Amino acid sequence: MNAQLMLIQVFNGLVNGAFFALLSLGLAVIFGLLRIVNFAHGALYMLGAFVAFALGQAFGLGFWPALLVAPVVVGLLGVALERGLLRRLYGLDPSYNLLLTFGLTLLIQDAIKQVMLTRYAVSSAPYTIPEALVGATNLGFVFFPTYRLFVIGFAVVVCAATWFVIERTRVGAVIRAATENPTVTQAFGIDVGRWVTIVFGFGVALAALAGVLAAPIYSVEPYMGSELIIVTFAVVVIGGMGSILGSVVTGFAVGVLVALGSALYPPIANTLVFVLMALVLLLRPNGLFGLPETK
Amino acid sequence: MTALPVTRDRARRGAALVVAAAALILLILPHVVYPVLALDILAFGLFAVAFDLMFGFAGLLSFGHAAFWGTSAYTTAWLLGHGQSVPVALLGGTLTALVVAVPVGFLSVRSIGIYFSMITLAFAQMLSFLALQWTDVTGGENGLQGLARPGLLGLDFTNSMHRYYFALVVFALGCCAAYRVVRSPFGKTLVAVRDNETRARSVGYSPTRFKLTAFLISAALSGLAGSLFVFGHGVVSLEVVNWRTSGEVVMMTLLGGTGTLFGPVAGAAIVLLLRDVLTTASLPVGVVTGLVFVLAVLFFRRGVVGTLQGFLKARR
Amino acid sequence: MNKTVLTLTLALTGLAGAQKLSDNVVRVGVLTDLSGVYSELAGPGSVKAAQMAADDFMKANKAYAGKVQVVGVDHQNKADVASNKAAEMIDRQNVDAIVDLPTSSAALAASEVDRQKKTVTMVVTGGTTALTNESCSRYTFHYAYDNFMLANGTGTAVTKRGGSSWYIIYPNYAFGQDLNRQMTAAVQEAGGKLVAPSDATPFPNTDFSTYLLKAQSLRPKVFGTMQAGADLVNVVKQYNEFGLRKQGIGLGIGLLFETDVAALGQDAFAGALATVPWFWNLDERSREWAAKFEKAFGKKPTWAQAGVYSATMQYLNAVARAKTDNSDAVVKALENYRFSDFFARSAYIRPQDHRVLLDVYTVQVKSKAESKEAGDLFKIVSRIPANRAFMPLSESKCQMK
Repeated sequence: MNAQLMLIQVFNGLVNGAFFALLSLGLAVIFGLLRIVNFAHGALYMLGAFVAFALGQAFGLGFWPALLVAPVVVGLLGVALERGLLRRLYGLDPSYNLLLTFGLTLLIQDAIKQVMLTRYAVSSAPYTIPEALVGATNLGFVFFPTYRLFVIGFAVVVCAATWFVIERTRVGAVIRAATENPTVTQAFGIDVGRWVTIVFGFGVALAALAGVLAAPIYSVEPYMGSELIIVTFAVVVIGGMGSILGSVVTGFAVGVLVALGSALYPPIANTLVFVLMALVLLLRPNGLFGLPETK
Repeated sequence: MTALPVTRDRARRGAALVVAAAALILLILPHVVYPVLALDILAFGLFAVAFDLMFGFAGLLSFGHAAFWGTSAYTTAWLLGHGQSVPVALLGGTLTALVVAVPVGFLSVRSIGIYFSMITLAFAQMLSFLALQWTDVTGGENGLQGLARPGLLGLDFTNSMHRYYFALVVFALGCCAAYRVVRSPFGKTLVAVRDNETRARSVGYSPTRFKLTAFLISAALSGLAGSLFVFGHGVVSLEVVNWRTSGEVVMMTLLGGTGTLFGPVAGAAIVLLLRDVLTTASLPVGVVTGLVFVLAVLFFRRGVVGTLQGFLKARR
Repeated sequence: MNKTVLTLTLALTGLAGAQKLSDNVVRVGVLTDLSGVYSELAGPGSVKAAQMAADDFMKANKAYAGKVQVVGVDHQNKADVASNKAAEMIDRQNVDAIVDLPTSSAALAASEVDRQKKTVTMVVTGGTTALTNESCSRYTFHYAYDNFMLANGTGTAVTKRGGSSWYIIYPNYAFGQDLNRQMTAAVQEAGGKLVAPSDATPFPNTDFSTYLLKAQSLRPKVFGTMQAGADLVNVVKQYNEFGLRKQGIGLGIGLLFETDVAALGQDAFAGALATVPWFWNLDERSREWAAKFEKAFGKKPTWAQAGVYSATMQYLNAVARAKTDNSDAVVKALENYRFSDFFARSAYIRPQDHRVLLDVYTVQVKSKAESKEAGDLFKIVSRIPANRAFMPLSESKCQMK
């Protein structure tokens, strides 16, 4: 593999990594505070893309406003899910959360499939790149699609902002306190329950945001998140459950590694992540950035 | 305290009654539903029992149990395709599942909780990749069909009734094995480890070793179930190693009743009958099964058998 | 034979003899995907098409009035469900023939059950060439298309039209590998060349940028994609994103359904070449049938659904010729039969491997501007006659049993 091809693969990997990072960041935030493994994260990613498409069809809403509106809409749905369903399971074995969100995944995917077929008569929804980002940019070694460069940059900004809010602000301090010791935090007069809802909604909104970003370049279909979520789980395990920084760094790193690996032997791409995960777990059972799990 | 022997006696009688009823249902089942479907209920039922051994009794939620079911299914298919007899194929499938479970179990039981679920899922994904690629053995996405099932002891396995009753015997043996495990001192220790790992360790047990043994037993029984599935259909496809299959067995166990050991058989029956009804209804399968699953997790966590047990206990 | 004569003959045969039908009814089971990924291109539309065939047949053959029934069953794209349901339909519902069968593993599984239970099977939406090769069966007929016909048609036609240099990518599983092999052979046979060895891509896959960038630097005249379904939609979406068309790199597609085009909009596919057995505005006869279908179902038919109508009708006609629904007799009536209907032209049912030969078309997707009416997607680039469209018998590995 020559240097130019490797460099190209690094950029391709960063694009995939951007999606891994946004999704695993959302998973990490939710897991950190709620100890929930949100299996429905992939379905909610799909929902983000679908809502962007549906808003476009109904109100002619373009990509830019959709980038804001769709995550808010899906985030609110997340709030409703947390309040209405997940809340009933707190205090039980965390496995039940995983099972509930697994059921939700089946439900959401097939429901959207029905809506797409009956309302829009398509099995996969068309969505185009925003006018301003069509075309390619000269990177010196290759002409790389402008929109993809935007995806990388945008994901980095969102991840950095999230990290900043959680690690460096008062709001973040409250969230972290609520994560580490809910009882004590509650005693300080902070409504932990409300923060739990907000954080869940935010994590879901991040998934939806990734979905909107994916809509112009990937097929918008009901099962677009179902394979992706499995890979993202592996990313989260490699990075360490609940680690904000770990999930972002691992997201990008895995994206690049897989891209380089698949340039050498393409069919391996889908499995490389899992092999990587097995290796990491052998050496560091709690992931690269994770703290020992307590039950 | 004086009432105790009476209660125990009644409990035993109640249990015997339930077992007799269940046996009767299984005996007449293929005359009520289509025999191949009835056999599916046995295969998935045993799979769910094996799963419950780990989830209900060891507290480990595996999200990759399709790995063992699927490994055995392919091995059984390969053996049948190469002229082996049915017992050899069933045994071969079971053993291969066990062999695969050794490294997977070794690597995963060191983790707990959600980590464990994710790791088992990842291993299952690797196997599913292997199944897609290794077309000489698995037939890739075409799968394998028309597997011969040579008759045995006067049984004609081209007849689905004969297949069912043969499978019922294997199923019963598998269930007996699971029952013996749960009722043995080993089973009791397993539950103790689940409930309080630190205490179990402090009295001298190695939790990891217990969990690994449970993992291997569960994988072998899942393998036996997977080989029954292939024996029933004479076909095998990639579906057997798909993560949806791993999810399905969780759903069956939950619906039947986690930690009730045989409740999952009822759960398997419910899921398969529901799926069967949906083949002629125009309802979307995912919406219906997803909804049932969500409702079960929210309101029916003890499952059919668990709820029934609670009801019987309350009456006493 | 023209249409009136055909109808008349059929009517006469129908009136002439008392038929021998098991339980006095001919039942056709449509085993398909009613709610999954193929439900739009086959699914409920296939069931409707089979029902229309039954109704038309009964109208034309008075002796069969009220004696043909159609049942639709969902196989959920699972091989075990397909084998289970096929057996159950035959044993419990006395189904005499099974049609459609999307998903290769499901089609093969059902075909095997039907062989054991001696039931005629018309595979329409399933595409694996195994059905007429190593897994061929005395009772199974492969109707509309298969991998060989797709690759052979597109590879040959595109190369002959000047698309002489190719770069091909294929998903790394049997369907893709098979298609790649056939396509490469067809391109080379027609005098074209591959500018680089074909690349296997992961399956499933969403991001194809690696291969699109490679195509940019290789500058072939045609970028061949053997992906199908959601993966194909991803490839084409990104083919547009990377601006390959503007750079003069054409698009050759292995397997294209009308539903794929709808998913991205016509313009994303404009100019792409693929091979199909039929499309609704192929000619006046096709239009006529498509209008009837649209009236009954509310949507334009896909080629898979039209194929189900034709396959069902040909089965029923064979029952009428054999004057019985006994499978062995019907198979005999189907074998060696030559016919032409709105879907299958110059068709011939090859007895040695049960491949149904028919004229197929290499088509180019029209841009929105070229499109004259709603759903006007394809223009014909070349018609491939039935006897050259499919795998020659000499290559078939079928040993009929």
